Order: sequence, then structure tokens, then C-alpha cells
Amino acid sequence: MGQRIGVDIGGSFTDFAILDEDTRTLRALKVFSRPDEPGAEIAAGIRLAGERYGISPDQVTYFTHGTTVGVNTVIQRKGVKLALFTTENFSDVLELGRLKLPAMFDLLSRRPDPLVTRDMVWGLSERLRADGSVMRGLDPESVAIATRAALAAGAEGIVIALLHAYRNAEHELEAKRLVAGLAPGIPVFTSAEVWPIIREYERTTTAVIGGYVQPRIAHYLGSLQNALKGLGVPAEARLTKSNGGVMSAEQGKTDCVQMILSGTASGVIGAGFVAKACELRECMSLDVGGTSADVALIVDGEPQYGMGEYIGEHQIHVPSISVTSIGEGGGSVAWVDEYGVLKIGPESAGSTPGPACYGRGGQKPTITDAFAVCGIIGQADLGYNAVKVDVEAARRAVATLTGRTGQTIEETAEAIIKVAVSGMYAKITGLVTRFGVDPRTTAMMPFGGAGPMMGCLVAEEMSMPETVVPTTPGVLAALGGLVADLKNDFIRTVFVDLAKSEIPKIQQVFTELKAAGENWLRDDQGYDGEGQVTYSADMRYRGQSHDIETVLPGAAVWAGDVAALEKAFHDAHEKVYGHAQREAPVQMVNLRLVMAGRTPKPELPHIDTGSGTPIPLKEIRCWISGRWIPVQLYARKDLLAGQSFDGPAVIAQDDTTTFVPEHHTVRVDAFGHLRIKKESSDAAEDNN
Amino acid sequence: MLQKTTINRAMLQVLADYCSATTEAMAHTLMRTAHSSFVKETEDFTTQLVTVQGETFASPKGLGATWFTNLDYGPALRMIDHYEEGAIYLTSDPYSGHVATHAPDVHAWKPVFHNGELVCFVACHVHNTDVGGAVPASLSRSLVEVHQEGIRIPPMKVWQNGEFDQNLLRIIDTNVRMPEQNWGDLNAQIACLNTGEAKVREMIKRFGIDVIMACQSELLDYAEAQARKIVSTIPDGEYFFADYADEDSDGGVPCRVAVTLTVKGTELTLDFTGSDPQLGSSLNMPTGGNPRHALVTIAVVLVLSTLDPHLVLNAGTTRMVHAILPEGTVMNAVAPAAVGMRSLVVAVSQLALLGAFQQALPDRLAASPGGAASLLNVKTIDRSGRQIMASIGPVSGGGGGSPQRDGVEGSGGNRSFLRNTPVEINEVEVPIHIERYGLVPDSGGAGKYRGGTAMLMEFQVFSPNSVVTARNRNRTRFASWGVLGGKAGMTSSFFRNPDDARRQDLGNIDVVRCNPGDVIRITGPGGGGYGNPAERPVQSVLSDLHAGFISRNGAAHDYGVIVSAEGNLDVAATELARARFGIESKRFEFGKDREKYEAVWTGERYDALTTILLTLPITWRFYVKHRIFEAVTDEVGSGGARAVFDAYSAIAARHPELPASVPPAN
Repeated sequence: MGQRIGVDIGGSFTDFAILDEDTRTLRALKVFSRPDEPGAEIAAGIRLAGERYGISPDQVTYFTHGTTVGVNTVIQRKGVKLALFTTENFSDVLELGRLKLPAMFDLLSRRPDPLVTRDMVWGLSERLRADGSVMRGLDPESVAIATRAALAAGAEGIVIALLHAYRNAEHELEAKRLVAGLAPGIPVFTSAEVWPIIREYERTTTAVIGGYVQPRIAHYLGSLQNALKGLGVPAEARLTKSNGGVMSAEQGKTDCVQMILSGTASGVIGAGFVAKACELRECMSLDVGGTSADVALIVDGEPQYGMGEYIGEHQIHVPSISVTSIGEGGGSVAWVDEYGVLKIGPESAGSTPGPACYGRGGQKPTITDAFAVCGIIGQADLGYNAVKVDVEAARRAVATLTGRTGQTIEETAEAIIKVAVSGMYAKITGLVTRFGVDPRTTAMMPFGGAGPMMGCLVAEEMSMPETVVPTTPGVLAALGGLVADLKNDFIRTVFVDLAKSEIPKIQQVFTELKAAGENWLRDDQGYDGEGQVTYSADMRYRGQSHDIETVLPGAAVWAGDVAALEKAFHDAHEKVYGHAQREAPVQMVNLRLVMAGRTPKPELPHIDTGSGTPIPLKEIRCWISGRWIPVQLYARKDLLAGQSFDGPAVIAQDDTTTFVPEHHTVRVDAFGHLRIKKESSDAAEDNN
Repeated sequence: MLQKTTINRAMLQVLADYCSATTEAMAHTLMRTAHSSFVKETEDFTTQLVTVQGETFASPKGLGATWFTNLDYGPALRMIDHYEEGAIYLTSDPYSGHVATHAPDVHAWKPVFHNGELVCFVACHVHNTDVGGAVPASLSRSLVEVHQEGIRIPPMKVWQNGEFDQNLLRIIDTNVRMPEQNWGDLNAQIACLNTGEAKVREMIKRFGIDVIMACQSELLDYAEAQARKIVSTIPDGEYFFADYADEDSDGGVPCRVAVTLTVKGTELTLDFTGSDPQLGSSLNMPTGGNPRHALVTIAVVLVLSTLDPHLVLNAGTTRMVHAILPEGTVMNAVAPAAVGMRSLVVAVSQLALLGAFQQALPDRLAASPGGAASLLNVKTIDRSGRQIMASIGPVSGGGGGSPQRDGVEGSGGNRSFLRNTPVEINEVEVPIHIERYGLVPDSGGAGKYRGGTAMLMEFQVFSPNSVVTARNRNRTRFASWGVLGGKAGMTSSFFRNPDDARRQDLGNIDVVRCNPGDVIRITGPGGGGYGNPAERPVQSVLSDLHAGFISRNGAAHDYGVIVSAEGNLDVAATELARARFGIESKRFEFGKDREKYEAVWTGERYDALTTILLTLPITWRFYVKHRIFEAVTDEVGSGGARAVFDAYSAIAARHPELPASVPPAN
């Protein structure tokens, strides 16, 4: 009887989702994270699984986890000292970036400092043409000079990124061989091996980020593997990838760019799984933590993908689940400017010292403190008894603003909430128009510690019809890892016109990508089920400089059906941009293939069924819309499927608090998810 | 929580968020549905919410162009007698209200009504790639009349009840080179405005009409109060500064923009008296003399935002600005002056203002950024004979050294919004070979904080009749100035076949016809330095040397840091060399060429020139300026202004149409 385990290692807590392979039941656990000793939290969790559910380590047949170690290494700039070898005369690629500066209205705005300083960059004498043919062969002497200089300057790793290597990797590989001969043991990364896309800055910086974090990640994953082995877990360690899939920890040790956004992606995959179970067609996940909120769009249970996701100030150009980070979280600090206007952030109290009401030394009023003043949180224990809410401390913090707002403490607290919500409204509005999504048919799924307390308020502003609060919002990310499929992306830049004459080449490349995919799935991941192949291409109209990733019907690829391939692109263009030029010539820039191996999915457990209105824990008083009113407080664990009740209400559970505003109705679905809808106000609106 | 009639000031941020979300939604709609790469890649567009009076009260920060956050739509709005619900209006004529500032910019707006009452306008603009006229893309420095710059549409109704005015469309269709693009972008503007209107209606429903009416002036007042607060931290005083365009027309003489900035309490006066007469080229700015015209106040917005990043940007931000823009000068050209390349003089006027503000705020603002970015286009033929026309990217200069940091490499300051095109994309799409792309060592002005180095691009073309255009070429003669002892940056350059016998210096030419095999090398201007280079720590100089931002010669010559060919620091020689640098710190360091030029064209002579030209009919000014420049070439020994008056008298003697003599001022 096998047990499959998904783990999410967060800053404070580590969550476990455990799937019984026979019964398909799902169980959850939570332990404290141990950033000081990676692996210790895993051991603690597995021990607890034994105590609580009688699961022994040798029953664990599958183990996957999401981690933020990669992101943190970049943000804290704690990676290794790298050298970069470029094509001679193009060594300023990282300094220039794409030229544009981040803050257009700031005369002193700067690009983020490159992860490799300019003095650690050397040019190699070689040059390829745009079609990949050799214009100047690689001069081995230039490699030797660069290598010696890099070692003398203290390089701990070398990244080789040459012009047009996406087309022909041979010069990069030859340089890599030469470096290996001169400096055995030093890690060497080539841009085409890391992720072979056209655009030298994007490919170079992606390879640099990968090299920068690699030794840290390899060390971390090694300790994790040892910890599991020590516990007697037979399963090979795996981890979630930025692309929403899963790979072996062994692959993660070298293929680091694929796992940098592991932690963020896990939560969205979990949200997607719940969205599918709830049959939500379009859904926006809102993961609110202490310092920021991550927003992602999920369509038919599938997260949306993008390139160029941000890691702190840097972007990484591999296919990733598209997540937009809003700099506003539960710990964001409220302040009043000189003109008397109330503002939120960007300063955040984070988790240390945290909101004033957590009593860990925070003095400044945060969003969480505002909710505490209004009586919405702090009525039941938070975070597995780890945190007690000190309402008086929250009031003292908010009181520091009342002189400036000219309002009472309660009024000021509610104003903070309104400004926090409107800030999220502004950011999310930009996002939905960019994606071309209609919020009126999109559901909101809040999770993370502070998500469910704000979710309904944000959804209401956005005119989203429904808010779905998952059963255990804290475990969503652990669940995400558990339900993710084995998945790897393969890419080749071809740059051809889509024409009959190019079909043999296109088919040839797809044949090779498919073989690489099969090899990865069978040999590297040890998967013996059937592989799922998705074909796509980055396509564009000739003369345009932006491409759209277009999913291609496999049958059309192998039949060489040019018309069908063109139609796929025109349709995609029309969907994204609202128009298509169906007669215009089409180009294919990159061919892509996704190889996936399906993993068993849990059945989300049904909770006990009840009827009518649940019995509240007690009645509390909350400050809502300018007055203290009675509000029912419910315990999440007491709620039964089929029950419903009206807002205003507060629902407390171990890892979060859900706030249901006035004029909202909650229905508990079969899985125990809270389905919250606003009472229809169409009649009132028509009078306006 | 918001009351219906008055706005709780503490809650103003909520309304600011809603307004900014509306303009952001408009911007994304525009970007998503537009056709031209100007919108998608260059982001040369804006979206705004505009009061009934025409004041821009909201725009998306960070999406689109940076120039029009305070655009005054008023004069154009008032040219429509009667607004109809559901209708859309537009203009592209620079001389109808001075909202559009060259013909490719199409500004469109839609009124939003509530119960028959006009609430506000939603507005947007797009730079069309081509609007017809004498040259492809409609822009060239050589044009002399606005009539050569493409079709111009005066303010008119163009769309109602889901229908375009078909007559107008046919006229546009007949006059432009790529009508499908204009048509596509126009449709995107309609979609953008309809999105904006729907969003404003949602706001009215959410907050009530009274709040939405009231919040417009509140947001303007808020921005004004913030801006005044910032201005009050700037020391009172009068600060004069002038900067130059290298040439005022093809092969012409310099064009000066002079400004006297007066800071008094919370008020700013920008007096541009002393700037050159309007030009016989397309570098003129069509501002209509509007004392707060958006083209004139960009530098003020940038300076205030730099001083306080929380500043809200709308028309209120510049309410305390009063610009004096004498009619018939480059700062306020009258019809039919050509205005297509006004961006070049806009940039010079920004630099002039930055120089004035730098004097007021020496510890908070930087030296001159490169300031001129050449936009390169190549028209050539590929092997199959297909014609290719493509933008291959900007070549710009570095940022200026600032009070705490070195300037940004390659771009910065007032040109921070430009994006480049990857070498790999250029080489795939355009049949050229790029030999070198990067930064120019030693191009950043030396200083305690070094100016940012300039960009360089070198490429080869392979087919006959290839044409390279470089719009906005400037700073080949007048360098980016350094401050407080910092040196001027290296000037920009433009060469054909730089390394062989056919070498040709192209100067500020903006159109080059090439032969097969020609190599073009273009460099931007380096940023100016900040502070005495002798105060730059030796360690920083060595880092720059190792990084390649400076050469060994540069280290020795610019910083007095002596390093042997083997890379060893010669401590004794360095100490000696640095001692010789002295402690002198010039307020501004302009570079040799400008010093030489200003030895002839002193402030006194410029005053005389201004006095003379302002008395002449506008049509004569450019001509007379050039004749006077031909006559006055000697450095000032004695005489000074006298030489200018004498030169004028000689010209007037030849032309009875001119007043015979002009009395010296005062």
C-alpha cells in the first residue's frame, strides 16, 4: 500500500499532502520549517505522518516537493562567483540588457546589477552567422586566455553564451570541452544547453541565473536526498518545476533554471486542481502572504504560461507558470502622506517583526492589524497556536495614524482595508485586460495566510461572481506538487517560413525533440506509462517582432498540413490580439515539444453532509461599513457539505481566516470548499 | 464608506487606484489590439482620463510614452461645438490646439455622459508608422513645411454608433503608405476608448456621480499640492542654462535652447527667451505658447518624480509651472513650420532645463545624460530580391554621473524608455552583419562619479542602394556636460568605413545611401561626469579598467591612475599625477567644442541676436540668423555684441524689406 507525498517548504511552515494510492484519500500535515537545517522539516513531517496516520517511511513510493531556495539565492544575491564567456565584441550583453530602465520617471533609475560583473566577462574569438554557419572558427587560444584569467579572478563557475548558439551549439560545446581540459572540475554551463532560445540577452541571463544558483541548489537537494535515505524512504526525491511539472531531484541539481520558481508554481498547480474539481472555467488565484500577493490565471484547471517571469529584479526566460506579484501582503505597512492621503506599502513588516498584533516587536500598522482592529481576525487561534493575536497592539499601531486621518481607530482601520483592496483591484484590473479575460465570468480563489481574509473584498471590487476558498488553503501548494505530472519542455529555434518546402525540416526537428522527450521520460525519470506529447511553435507574421506560442495539432504536423498549421496560428493571433491577417505569410521561430507522464491524481475527499445553517462557534462584533455589528463566527471544521449561511461572517481555521462581507452567501460544497457569492444587485444597478 | 457628496481625503487613494486601473485597462486594450510595431514594441502611445476642461487627471504609470502625463486637451476639445454621447473625436494636426505635436500622432477622445451630463473624456494617442507626406514614415529633418509631413486631421467627429466616418477613412486611405496599419491602429484606439468609457461608467456606479465629478479636481489638487511641496524644497533663485542641437537644419549652424528657471516659493517660471528662432527644418516644437505645454514640462515632471517617487502625475503636477515661450521660436513655432522631428529639440530643451535644475539641486541631480539617441533604420534587399525595411534599434548614450553613483551604461536619464533590438533578431531579419555591439570605453565623462559609457553599433550592408537612416542624430559636436569638476562625456559619432581609406565622417547626417560592403559605425554620446575625477578612489578606477569601461590611457589621462602594460598600479606615479589634478572644480565642464563655439557665440552676442530676431517678421528670422552666423566668426576680443549688430546692418542694407537698424536692448 503506497503513499505519495507532496511537500511545500515555506518560510514559516512546511505543509504535507499525503495521497493513499489504494484509497485515493488525501491527508494533510503541517510542521515548522527549518531553514537552518534543510531536510529536518521533512524528517519531522514523516515522523508525524507515522504517529498520526500510521504511515511508515518505507511505504512512501513517491515524494515531491516545492522549494524557494533558488529564488532566495537570487534575491539575496548569495550565488557563486561566475565568469561569462561571450562572443568577442559582444561582451556588454549583460550591462545593456534590453536597454530600457525600470522606472521611467526617475532620472536616476538603474538596471539591476548583473549577476556577473563586467570584469568577469571575456570575449572568445569566434563568430557564427545567423543561419548557424561558421564565419570565424573558435580560437582555442582565446578560450585558454579567458579560462586562465577567470580562474585567477576567482571564478567558481563559467557560463559560455555565444551569438547564434541557439542555432548551432558547436562552438559553445567546443569551448566547454576546452575549459574542462584546462580547469577540470569547474562547473561550466552553455547557453544552448540551458535553454536554446533566440535573443542573446535573454538566453545569456537565463544561463547565468542557472549557473549562479546551481551549486547552492545541488547542495540543498543533496542534503534532502540524504535525509530521505536516512529515514528509509525508498522513493526518489522529486521537485516541482517552474513549468508546473515535476522532475527528479537529480535533474534539478544540474537543470536549475527549470526549478527556480518551484515554490510559486506549486501553489498555482494546486489551485488549478481544486478549480477543476469545482468545475470553474476561469479562475484567478490570489496567494496573499506577508509581503506580497501572487496572482495567476487558471483556465479549465490549467495555469497559464509565460516567459520572462521575474525573480526579484531579474527575469528568467524559460516556460513558467505565469504569476504576477503584487507588492502588497498582510504585513504591508499603512501610512499617511503629507496631504492626508492614506497609502499602503511598499514597506512591509514581513514575518519579522510582522504585524503589530503578532506581538513580535512590530510597531507599525499593517493590513493584518487593520483586520484585527475590525475584529475580523484574532477571534480564534491562528497558525496552529503559533501566533496569538494581540488586538490592543493592533489598535495602538493604527492609532498612530488617526491624528493624520482625522478618524477614529476603527474608521482608520477600515480605510486601510479599503485602500489595500483598491490597490489589488488596480493591479488585477491591469492583469485581466492584458490577458483579455472578463472578470464577470471569472472566479476568485484566495489562499495563503492572508488570502481568504481579503479574497471576497477583492472579488467584489472586480465584479467577480464567486469566491472559492479551498478546504485547506495552506496545503494547496503541497497538493500542487502531488498532482503535478512529470513534465519537461524541449525547444529548438528554426526560424523558417511556414511553407511546404520547409515541412521536412519541421518534421525532422519534431522527430528529434520527441526522441529527446521519450529519452527523458523513460531513462531519466524512469516512467513506464504512456507519454503525452504536446506540439507547439512560437509563430509570428513575417516582419513582426513578437511571437505567439501556438499549440499545433499533432496530426497536422505529421501530415505536413500547412493550411492547418497556419490556421492554428491565425486563430491564436485572433484570440490574443482580436484580429488576424489570414493572407499574410507566417514564420516559425521556435519549435517546442512538451513531454508529460501523467501521475495518479487523488480524489478530493468528500466531507460529511449536513443541512440548513451551521451552528456558529459564537457571535462576535466586527466593525463593518462604519459601525460595530454582530457577526457569526464559525469553525471551519464544524461546517458540513450542503450547509449555507449569510454574511457578514468570519470562518476560522488553523491556517487562515475567511471573511464574508455583508450581502454575501456562503455555501459549503461536497469537498468542504466555501463557495461565496454576492447577492445579485442587478436591480439596484439598473436604477443608477 | 465613501460619502456621496464630499470626498474623504484619506480615501483619495482608492479613487486614484480606480482611475489608474481604468487607464491601464485602456493601455492594455490598445497594446493588445494595435497593429503597428510603434505601439507594440516602442510603446509610443498614451491613454488618459481628461476633465471636461481638458486637463489630464489620470494616466498609467509605466505603460506607454512618458511625455503626456499632463497633456492639456482643452484647446482641441473646445474646437468641437457640441459633444454627442457615443461619438468619438480625433485630431492629428499640430496646429489645431497643439494637442497632437506632429502629424503621425493621432489623438482621439470620447465623452462620457451620465444622465445627459458630460462627466469627463477618455482619451488616447498612437504614433502611426506612416501618415503619408514627402518621406516614408513621414519624418525627416530636411522638411520645411508641415504640409510635407503627411495628412493632418483637424479636430472632428469620426465615429458614432459603431460606425466610422467613411469619407474620412477614404481620405486617409488615399494619403498614407500602409493604410491597413493606420486602419488597424485606429480600430485599436476605438477599442481602447470604449474600454475606458465602460470603466468610467463602472466607477460612477460604484462611487456615485458626485464622487466621480469631485474626485477629478481632488486628484489634480492632490498632485499640485505634492508638486508644490517638492518645489518648496528647491532653493529659490534664478538659474540660467543653455544647451544646443549640433545643427538646426541639414548642414546648418547650431540651434540653441536657452532657459532661465526661476524658483520662487512653490512656483517655477521657465523663460525660454533667448532660444533660437523657428527653423527651416522640422525640429520645431508646436506648443502654441501654452505655459504648461506637455512638451515643455517633461523635464519638470522627471525632476520632481526623481525627487519624490510617490508624486502623482497629472495636469496638477505642473500647475505651478509658468513657461514663457516666445512666438516664432523653436519653442513655439507658428504654422506652417515643419515639426516632425520636434523630438530632437524637445530633448535639447530637457537637457537645458536639467542644467538649470542641476544648479539649484547640485546634491540631488546628475550631470547631463547622453541625451541623444539615434534611432537606426535599414532599408535593403535580401538575397531573393525582397525589400526589407526594419528598425535595428536605438544607439544611445550613458546616464550622467550622479551625486552618489556612476551613470547608467548605455542609456539613462531622459531616454530611459528606449528598448533595443537583439543582435540575433537583427541578423535574422535584416541582411546585415553586426560586427560589434556594446559600450565605448572612455566615453563616460570622468568624475568622482563617472558618466555612463555610450553605446556602439557597427554593421555591414551587402546590397546596392541600401539606405541607413539615423533619426535624432545629435551630440557629435556639443558634448554632455559634466558638473562640479566632472568632465564632459565623449561626443557621438557616425562613420562610413571607419577603418579603411574610404573613411567618411557622416556627422549628423540622418540618411546615408550605402554601397555593398559598406561598414557603418555609430556611437552615442557618453554621459557627463560628477565631481572631480581626482576624488574617485583608485580602486574604483582600477575596477573600471578591469571592466573595460575605461582604457589604460583613460585611467592615466582622465584619473591620474598609472597602470603598467602588465596591469600593475604604479603607486608613486599615481600619487604624483593625481596631485597635479588639483582641487579645482568647475561648475560645468562643456567640452572643447562648446568652449570654442561659445568663445565666438558668447551670451552677450546671443542676447544681441535675440534682440534683433524678435523684431523681425517670423518668416525672415531663420534666414537672417544664418547670414549673421556667416558674418560673425571671430572670437570675442573686443566688440562683442557690436559684431552682431554690424552684421545685421550689413544684411539689412541688402534687403530693404528688413528694418534698417535694430536698437540694442536696454
